[in-house]
Amino acid sequence: MTTVALFTLLFLFMLLGMPVAVALGLSSVLTILFFSDVSLATIALKLFESTSHHYTLLAIPFFILSSGFLSTGGVARRLIDFALAGIGHIRGGLAMASVLACMLFAAVSGSSPATVAAIGSIVIAGMVRAGYPEKFAAGVIANAGTLGILIPPSIVMLVYAAATEVSAAKMFMAGLIPGLLMGGILLVAIYIVARIKKLPAQTFPGFKQLTISAIKATGGLFLIVIVLGAIYGGIASPTEAAAVAAIYAFLIAVFGYRDIGPLKNCPWRNPDESIIKAIARNCWQMALALPKSVVDVEVKKVVLEAAKVSVMLLFIIANAMLFAYVLTNEQIPHAIAQTIVEWGLPAWGFLIVVNILLLIAGNFMEPSAILLIMAPILFPIAIQLGIDPIHLGIIMVVNMEIGMLTPPVGLNLFVTAGITKQSMGWVIKAALPWLMLLLGFLILITYIPSISLFLPEYIDKLQGY
Amino acid sequence: MFQWLNKLEVAILCLLLVSMTLLVFIEVVMRFGFNQGLIWAEEATLYLGAWLVLFGASYGVKTGAHIGVDAFVKTLPSLYQRLVALLTIALCLVYCGLFIYGGWIYLSKLKMIGLEMEDLPIPKWQATSILVIGFILLAIRFIQAAIQLIKGETNTLQFANEAKESMSLAKEGSKD
Amino acid sequence: APIEIKFSHVVAENTPKGKMATKFKELVEQRLSGKVVVKVFPNAQLFGDDKVLEAMLLGDVQLAAPALSKIKKYNKQVQVFDLPFLFDDMAAIDRFQQGPEGKKLLKSLEKRGLVGLGYLHNGFKQLSASSPLKVPGDAKGKKFRIMASDVLVEQFRAVSANPVKKPFAEVFTLLQTKAIDGQENTWSNMYSKKFYEVQPYITESNHGVLDYVVLSSKEFWLSLPADIRPTVEKALQEAIVYGNQVALAKDQEDKQAIIASKRSQVVTLTPEERQQWVDAMKPVWKKFEVELGKDLIQAAISANQGK
Ligand code: NA
Ligand code: NA
Repeated sequence: MTTVALFTLLFLFMLLGMPVAVALGLSSVLTILFFSDVSLATIALKLFESTSHHYTLLAIPFFILSSGFLSTGGVARRLIDFALAGIGHIRGGLAMASVLACMLFAAVSGSSPATVAAIGSIVIAGMVRAGYPEKFAAGVIANAGTLGILIPPSIVMLVYAAATEVSAAKMFMAGLIPGLLMGGILLVAIYIVARIKKLPAQTFPGFKQLTISAIKATGGLFLIVIVLGAIYGGIASPTEAAAVAAIYAFLIAVFGYRDIGPLKNCPWRNPDESIIKAIARNCWQMALALPKSVVDVEVKKVVLEAAKVSVMLLFIIANAMLFAYVLTNEQIPHAIAQTIVEWGLPAWGFLIVVNILLLIAGNFMEPSAILLIMAPILFPIAIQLGIDPIHLGIIMVVNMEIGMLTPPVGLNLFVTAGITKQSMGWVIKAALPWLMLLLGFLILITYIPSISLFLPEYIDKLQGY
Repeated sequence: MFQWLNKLEVAILCLLLVSMTLLVFIEVVMRFGFNQGLIWAEEATLYLGAWLVLFGASYGVKTGAHIGVDAFVKTLPSLYQRLVALLTIALCLVYCGLFIYGGWIYLSKLKMIGLEMEDLPIPKWQATSILVIGFILLAIRFIQAAIQLIKGETNTLQFANEAKESMSLAKEGSKD
Repeated sequence: APIEIKFSHVVAENTPKGKMATKFKELVEQRLSGKVVVKVFPNAQLFGDDKVLEAMLLGDVQLAAPALSKIKKYNKQVQVFDLPFLFDDMAAIDRFQQGPEGKKLLKSLEKRGLVGLGYLHNGFKQLSASSPLKVPGDAKGKKFRIMASDVLVEQFRAVSANPVKKPFAEVFTLLQTKAIDGQENTWSNMYSKKFYEVQPYITESNHGVLDYVVLSSKEFWLSLPADIRPTVEKALQEAIVYGNQVALAKDQEDKQAIIASKRSQVVTLTPEERQQWVDAMKPVWKKFEVELGKDLIQAAISANQGK
């Protein structure tokens, strides 16, 4: 009865167009009010706990801030140039370079829609100009963008780690091989389609151009080294690495590439300027620029934008935790777990149930909210059945990737529709064939645990002794 | 006057995010570079995070940053759209009211027991006060949105989706 | 309707604390069938260690068993348990906890609206690190993860080490990657949290206590009907005795499991080496004499005499 009321209210409020966060929170409070004797004060306490006691979740604003500097600071553009110089000459190479750029961007950003937006807004138009069908371009990017949450760092993995108390660093490590594998699958699929459909290729720009573009992209590529290096090199935890990434992204955007901020249009070396003179000029200009960037309009805009997106996400997460609290307080996960255990499913059968549940949920809800509600229910059963919690986490993340592409709530679909100015129906059809690849990939991930577990277990072995 | 308040709101929001980031960054530098731990940094960061979320939620309403699903509402005729939007805002105000009430009791209790934060010498009720402040600000923003609706300035709640947010970032990026 | 008791804790069901909670549920529902219902919420499902007591004071949780250091803001005197090398053995801790000073500590929480119902053992703390710690000098300049406590900060500063505070969820990674060099914990915590896999050396120092305190809110406790409260209290005391037995057995069991795993080497101290640690850390007592009370510390010391 309580469960029915809770979910009915949630769907009703969502239907009315209420902000997802408020819909989650209000349905929880009303349910508690009518069906339980927990006081409103404790509900308020719980919401405050949800915003103030999850250190792992603080990585979210930091990764969003760093993504902000990367997208506006020209890093995405340089990554695309580099990928294009590398494989643009293969048949279908522009599309493959776009996927590669998505993978590279995914390795510095923690969100899927951000990946689609940053890369897609540049490459989809580029592909169309080069003679690719627009549907093909849009579908590829919408799918490749989902790698944003599979290739570390990943906001969704952080949420899973916070909900189940598994190590975020281990989750990140576990996502790396599946992420590269899925990227590889996309590349191969594009190559096959390109052969069949005779898609265009560009001319190879030469190794000199390739090297130049690689050097230009170093600033962005180095962030991968910083994030993963900091975590696995014994400098910082995932949350701390995210803060370091944000500071680095600011420095590279404002002082390195100078696409935004007080040093914009201020070259490292003027024509005919001697090296000594250029160094001296840069020194005092950069010293001046540091205080100036505090009041700089563009820098402030990036920070404000990041604050806004972070607040929006964290507010949903806090309210979703409240929703999960209501479920727990009524011992609903307990009851569901009991039921599923009584079915006596083997591990493989349970995983089928998990995937179906998550795919359905992925149609309607935002990934963080799904994880927060489902993880506490599924986690204990999985443990009982001997399924590794890290493996379960990766299965959930891949399901969330698919959820990004399924209507009515699919963030990547929204972004792609926005970029291409096409209707939702058009985008759904464009993404569908590539979505099938993702479904096949899900089966692979579900039934071959070692794809996910090989790397974290290997690292454990290395560092344990 | 309002101009000034708006600027202050934005400044506080940015300051909260930046100070959180810097605090964690400094902690890493201290530990890795100087072998020192900042005992109070964890708690300070966590509470700054709470202030960011609860203070920023109302700004999110003002700027239409909160995700909502408007697929169904958009299919209605315009008059009904406005009525549904008004009903929704009324419900949102109920949400705020319940939390202001519950938060108030919680804060009073904290003040009565006289607890301090774990590592910082600040009374816990003060550090938690954003709970009530934040929901009051949120309620104010919802009332403003209701007034706009009644005046006929808008037809729907202008809640955007994350897609639009990412889009505006992307446009900045592809300008040059 | 039956009276509902929500017991919220932060560890797994198969730990000593988890088993104690389950035992309590069994005993109460057997003896007060239909009158009292106990719901146990493990794994911080309802609240974390910090907020559970506040929820208790608001009347929405009836029983909890946080670590003693978590209630230092309710009465700073409980930090006496953090003082290094204060107790010689488990029996001394028992004598102190059951003695007048130990009971007074429990009683003192009533000022803040809490009722202390008893102490629950977890065990003695050991020191683990990425390199062997034989003498205090080995800890110099190393970073140790601590729980929030002024006493523990001073304890590590006394051997020129650097205390670092990090949330429990991140400790494993930080130890694994050697961002933090060491930590202090009981055998069973090191085993259940797998710290022993990433800490090649564990010094059997028995230098401090990590116990829990079982709490209820005064308001709820006094509201229990006169024919029910004694039965509940008796069930709780029995569950605590049971929990303590489990804890002691588990402590040794997990120690053996860690040794058997061969992932971590146990460093045993000679009496002379141990004395060096005692000499280095004992000045910490003096520093907290005023804050904790001379009498209290003295009472703890005399508990070692077995009187
Ligand atoms: Na990523
Ligand atoms: Na979806």
